[in-house]
Amino acid sequence: MKRRISRAWWVGLGAVGLTPARWAALTPVTRRAIKTFVWLAILLILIALFGVWKIAALALAAVIALLVVPAWNRIPFGKYVVPLAILAIAIAYPYYNTHMPQLPIFGPFPQISTMVVMMIFTMMALGLNFVVGYAGLLDLGYVAFYAMGAYMAGWFASNQFANQHLNFGAVGLYQGWSGYHISIWLLLPMAGIATAIIGVLIGLPTLRLRGDYLAIVTLGFGEIIPQVANNGDNLFGTGFNLTNGTGGITPIDGPGFGNWADKHLHLPANYLNAQNFDSLYFWTAIVLVLITIFCSARLRDSRLGRAWIAIREDETAASAMGIPLMRTKTWAYATGAFFGGVAGAYYASYKSGAFPDDFFFNISVFILCMVILGGMGNIWGVIFGACFLAYLDREGLANVGAWFSNHTHRTIDVPKYEFGIFGLILVITMLFRPEGLIPSQRRAAELHEGVHDEPLYDTEHAGA
Amino acid sequence: MATNVATAPLRARRSVGSYVMPVLASLLLVALFLWLIVNFVKGPAYFTNIAFIGLTNGAVYALVALGYTLVYGILELINFAHGDVFMLGALISASMMITNFGVTTGSSTGFLVIAIIGSLIVTMLACGLINATIEFVAYRPLRGAPRLAPLITAIGVSFILEDVAIGWKQTGYTAVPNVLPRGNVFSAGGVSYTWEKLIVVLITVPVLIALVYLVQRTRQGKAMRATAQDRDAAAMMGINVNRTISFTFLIAGALAGAGGLVYALYFGQVRYDTGYQLGLIAFTAAVLGGIGNLPGAVLGSLCIGFVQAFTDGLRWHSPGSDWTLSIVFSILILILVFRPEGLLGERTPEGG
Amino acid sequence: MKKKVSLLAFVGAIAVVAALFAGYSGTAKSASTVNALPSSSCGPIVYKGPGKPTFIIASDLPLQGAIRKQTVQISRAMIWALQQKGWKAGSATIGYQSCDDSTAQSGGWDSAKCATNARLYATNTSVMAVVGTFNSGCAKIEVPILNRAHPGPVLMVSPANTNPGITKKWDPGEPQKYYPTGTRNYARVVATDDVQGPADALWSQAQHWTKVFVLNDKQTYGFGVAKTYQAAAKKLGIKVVGFQGWDAKASSYEALANAIKASGAQAVFLGGIACNNGAKLMQDIKSVNPGIHLQMPDGFSDPNANGAVANGAYISVAGQPPKSLTGFGATFVKSFGKSIGATPNPYAAYGAQAMLVALQAVASRPGDRARITRTVFGLHVTGGVLGNFTIGAGGDTDALAITIYKQSGKNLIPVKTLTPSPSLIG
Repeated sequence: MKRRISRAWWVGLGAVGLTPARWAALTPVTRRAIKTFVWLAILLILIALFGVWKIAALALAAVIALLVVPAWNRIPFGKYVVPLAILAIAIAYPYYNTHMPQLPIFGPFPQISTMVVMMIFTMMALGLNFVVGYAGLLDLGYVAFYAMGAYMAGWFASNQFANQHLNFGAVGLYQGWSGYHISIWLLLPMAGIATAIIGVLIGLPTLRLRGDYLAIVTLGFGEIIPQVANNGDNLFGTGFNLTNGTGGITPIDGPGFGNWADKHLHLPANYLNAQNFDSLYFWTAIVLVLITIFCSARLRDSRLGRAWIAIREDETAASAMGIPLMRTKTWAYATGAFFGGVAGAYYASYKSGAFPDDFFFNISVFILCMVILGGMGNIWGVIFGACFLAYLDREGLANVGAWFSNHTHRTIDVPKYEFGIFGLILVITMLFRPEGLIPSQRRAAELHEGVHDEPLYDTEHAGA
Repeated sequence: MATNVATAPLRARRSVGSYVMPVLASLLLVALFLWLIVNFVKGPAYFTNIAFIGLTNGAVYALVALGYTLVYGILELINFAHGDVFMLGALISASMMITNFGVTTGSSTGFLVIAIIGSLIVTMLACGLINATIEFVAYRPLRGAPRLAPLITAIGVSFILEDVAIGWKQTGYTAVPNVLPRGNVFSAGGVSYTWEKLIVVLITVPVLIALVYLVQRTRQGKAMRATAQDRDAAAMMGINVNRTISFTFLIAGALAGAGGLVYALYFGQVRYDTGYQLGLIAFTAAVLGGIGNLPGAVLGSLCIGFVQAFTDGLRWHSPGSDWTLSIVFSILILILVFRPEGLLGERTPEGG
Repeated sequence: MKKKVSLLAFVGAIAVVAALFAGYSGTAKSASTVNALPSSSCGPIVYKGPGKPTFIIASDLPLQGAIRKQTVQISRAMIWALQQKGWKAGSATIGYQSCDDSTAQSGGWDSAKCATNARLYATNTSVMAVVGTFNSGCAKIEVPILNRAHPGPVLMVSPANTNPGITKKWDPGEPQKYYPTGTRNYARVVATDDVQGPADALWSQAQHWTKVFVLNDKQTYGFGVAKTYQAAAKKLGIKVVGFQGWDAKASSYEALANAIKASGAQAVFLGGIACNNGAKLMQDIKSVNPGIHLQMPDGFSDPNANGAVANGAYISVAGQPPKSLTGFGATFVKSFGKSIGATPNPYAAYGAQAMLVALQAVASRPGDRARITRTVFGLHVTGGVLGNFTIGAGGDTDALAITIYKQSGKNLIPVKTLTPSPSLIG
C-alpha cells in the first residue's frame, strides 16, 4: 500500500517534470512545501465534495502549512514554535469550533464537551503510559485508579457524608449543605496521592509476578473495585453508606475561584454555574494535560525513567546493573495511579457524579487501546491515540453510523459495535504495527527484534 | 577472608516472617471449615441441596477451565477469548435446539436426546474450528513476540467475538426453553437431586473421559504433552509443532462448545457478555487447581462451584450473592500471589 | 526549474479554486429557528403543525433493551398529546425530539448518557421543558444539571419516576441536593413509591398472606419500593421473612430460590425492574417453589418482558386503569389505542399527561424558562388524560390511586384500585 502511494506520487511528480534527480536538487523546505501542498489540496477537495464547506477549511489548511513547512528549528527558540502554536490553537478551540467545516464521514468537529472528555482520557492514557509504555507492565485494572479518584471526589466534594459539615475552600454550596466539601483544586492532588497510595498497596504483592499473571491480577482488582462500589451502600451489613451503591454519588461540586476572584479578577466563581462551563472545564483540562506531559517528559529522561526502560527490555540485566526491581516497578505503578486518580476526580467533577457503571473492565481496555494504537512509550503518540479513540467513543462512531445510514440502505448502529471495533484495532495493531502509529524508536526496535523479557523472579518455581 | 566465607557452615534459618503466611492460610481454612460445618448442622438437607448446585456449577466450569488449561500448558498464553468462544457455543447450541431441531417443553425424551447429541456435535465442531482459526490468525504470527503481545491480542479477539454475538443475537438474552426435566431423581429427607443436574453431569463426564483418553492414550495426545513440556525438543523429535498447537486449540474450543451447550440447557439464557464473567471464573478455577494441570482444572472448578453456591445460598453469616464475584476474584489474586502453582502444583498437562 | 515551480503553483491555485467552487455548490444548511438536539442522543425534530417550531420539548426515555416496547409507546403517546394541542403551547409552536438515555451495551439507562443528555438540554436555548425520565436513578442525575442551566432552570415533568427522594425528604440530603440553586424545577404526574409500597402491602394483607419474602434489585427504584413495602407490611401485621437483593448479572437464582423455600414464605415481593434479569429470577423462584405467589410493583408492568411465568402474578401500577379513565382519558384510550392498534399500556397515559402538563406550563410564558418552571407548582389540571388533579408545591401530584393488576398472557387485567391512608404512607 505504501509502495503504491509512493509510486503514484513519483508518477505525478514526473508529470510536472520533476524527475527524481530534480527532486533531490530541491531544498528540503521546497520539498516539504510541495508535499504538504498536495496533501492539503487533496484534503480540501475531499471536504468540498463530501463534507460541508466553510471558509475555515482554507484557514485551517493555511495554518497547517505554516506549521509544517518552514524549518522552525533553525531560528533561535524555534523549537517551541510548533508546540506553542498547537497549544494556542487548542485553547482557542471554543471560539472557532462552530465555524469549522464538516469532514466527510466523520462529520462535524467535536463539541466542547467531547473535547473535555478527550482531554481527560488523554490524562489517563498518559498515566497508563507510565505503566505500560515506560515500564512495560501490562495493567488491565487501570480503571480501578480512575474509580478511586472519582469516589474521592465524591466523598470530599459532595454531601455524601451528610452528618458532617466541613467546608474547606469549596465554591457553589447551596443552602442547607452538608458533608465534606473541599476545594476541587486541593482535591485533585489529594485524590492523586490517595490513589497512588492505593496503587502502591496493590502493587506491593502483585508486582513480583510476571507479565501475564500481573495482567490477570490487575484485572481481578479491576473487577473487585466496581463490586465494592456497587455494594458500598451497606458495607458488610453495617449500614455504613460509603459509595451510595448503584445510584452513585451525585451531585459533586465543581471547581471555581470564589466570589472575590469573580468580582475583582473576572475569574469564574463556580464552573457549574457559569454560562460557558464546558469551555472552562476544557481549559482547565488542558492545563492538567500540560502538567502531565511535563511530568511524563521529565520522568522519561530521568534516572527513574531510564530504569523503567531497562526493566522493560531485560529484567535480569537491569537487576545486575543494580536497579532495584520492585521499587522501580512500584514507582511506575504509583505514578500511573496518581494521574489516573487526578483524571478520575476531575471527570467526576465534570459529570457531577461518581457512578459504579463507569468502572467496568471495558474502560481499562479502552485506555490500553489508546496507548497501544497511539504508540507505547511515546507521549505524542499516546495523546493522539487518546484523543482519536475518545472522540470515536463519544461522537465519532455515532457520526459514522449516521453517515452509513444516509448513504447505504442499511441501518447499522455503529456505536453498538464500539468495543468490537476497538478489539479489531487492538488485534490489527498488534499484528502489523505493535509499536503503534507514532512509535518511540526504542519500542519499535524491541517489538520487532524481541527482548529477553523473562522476569528475574519466576514466582512459579519459587515454591517448587 | 574468602576461605572463611567459603567454608563457613551454611545454615538456612527460617525467619519468623516466613511462618506468617502458612499460619494465616491455615487459620483461614479452619475458619472456612467451621463456617461450613455450622451451616451444615443448621440444615443438613438444605446444605446438601446447595452442595448439589455447587457440584453442577462446577461441572460446567470444568469444561471451560480445561480449555484454558490446555492452551496455557502448551503455549503459556492466557486465552482471553476462550470465555467468548464458550458464549458463542452456548448461542450456537441454543439456536440449533430452538430453530433447527424445534425443541420445546413438550418434546418427547427420545427426540430430546437426539437433539442434544446433534447440537453437541455441531457445537463442538463449530467452536473447535472457531478456536483453531483464532489461533491461526491472531496468535501464530505473534509466536516470537514478547509475551504480552498475544495477551493483548487475545483481549482484542474477545471483544470482537462479543460484538459478533451482538450482531447475531442483539443485546438481549437468548432464552432456551426449559426442556430438561425438573423432576427428582431421588428425594430423601428434604434432599432432592433433580434430573437436570444429573443430565449436566451425564454430559460432562463422558466428555472429560474422552479428553483424558485423548491426552493419555493417543499419539496426538502424546504430541500435545511433549510440546507442552519442551517445544524445541518436541520439534527435534519430529513432532509438527504448529499442527499440534492447532489441534490443542481445536480440542479446547470443542470443550468450550460442550460447556456452552450444557450452560444453555441448564441456565436457560445466554447473552453476549455471559462469556466474560464465566470465563474469568473458569480461569480462576484453572489457576486454583494449577494451571497447565488437567485434573487440577477439574478440582479447581469444583471448588469454585462450591464457593459460589455456598456464598449465594447458605444463610448463616453468608456474604450473600452481592459479594460472590469479589470472593472468587480475591481467591484468584491470593492464589496468584501466594501459591501460583495452584493446589496440585504441576505445570505440564499430565493426563488424569 | 522556475518554470516547473510556477507550473506547480498554477496547478495548485486551480485546485484551490476548484475546491472553493465545489464547496459553494454543495448544499447549504438551511437556517432554522430552533437548534435541534444532536443525533447522538436524540431523534429528529417531530413537528406537524403549521410553519416552523420555535421551541423544543424533549423526552428523555430509555429506548433500548427490554423496556423498549413500553417507552416507544410512551413517546408516541406524547406525540399524540402534542397533536391534540395543535403543536402549540400558548402562542408558541413546539417541536418534539425523542432522546435516548440508554446505551446498547447496558440494555437500559446509563448514568453517563443521562448526564450528557441533561447537559444537552441545559445548554440548548431552544429547549423549554423535558418530559421524562422513566427511571428515578436517571432523574436524580439530570435534575441538578437542569437546575443549574442558563438562562433559567429547565422544567422536567416525569411520567414515571416513583422514587420519593427527588421531591420529598427521603435519604439524607434529599431533596435539596437536587436543587442547588434553591428553586425547584421538577414535577411528576405519578404517585411515588411511598404510596405504591403501602398499596402493595394492603393488597398482600387482603390476600391473607402472613409471610412474605422481599427481594430488591439494588437500584434506586427497586430498593426504595421494597423498603416502603416492608415498612407498611410490618404495620399491617405481615411478617417479612427475608429482605435480600438479587444480582442482575447472575446466571442462576436457584440458591436464592432455595433460601426462599426454607423461609416458608407464601409470597415473594420483587422490588425492582424486569430488565434486571427479572424473568429468570421469577422462573427460578417458581421452579423451586411452584405454589408461591408473586407480587411486583410497576417495574414489572410489561407482560412481554415478564414472560409466561408471571401469569397470575399481581402487579401494581400507579393511577387508574386505562379502561376506567373518563372524559379526555377515555378519548385517549380510544384514539391513541386505535393509532397503535392495541390497548395502551398504563404508562402511555402518563406520558401523554406529562406532555400536557409541560405544554400548560410552557404556555404561561414561552421562552422564559424560569417562569415556566415556577408555573408548574400549584398547577391545576382539569380534564386531563388522568382526570383532574393538582401539582403540589413540591412537584407531586395529589392523585394517589394505585391499581393492582393481574397478568394474564400478554395483558394486565385490573383487579382493584386502592388509595392507602396517610398513616401507612411515610
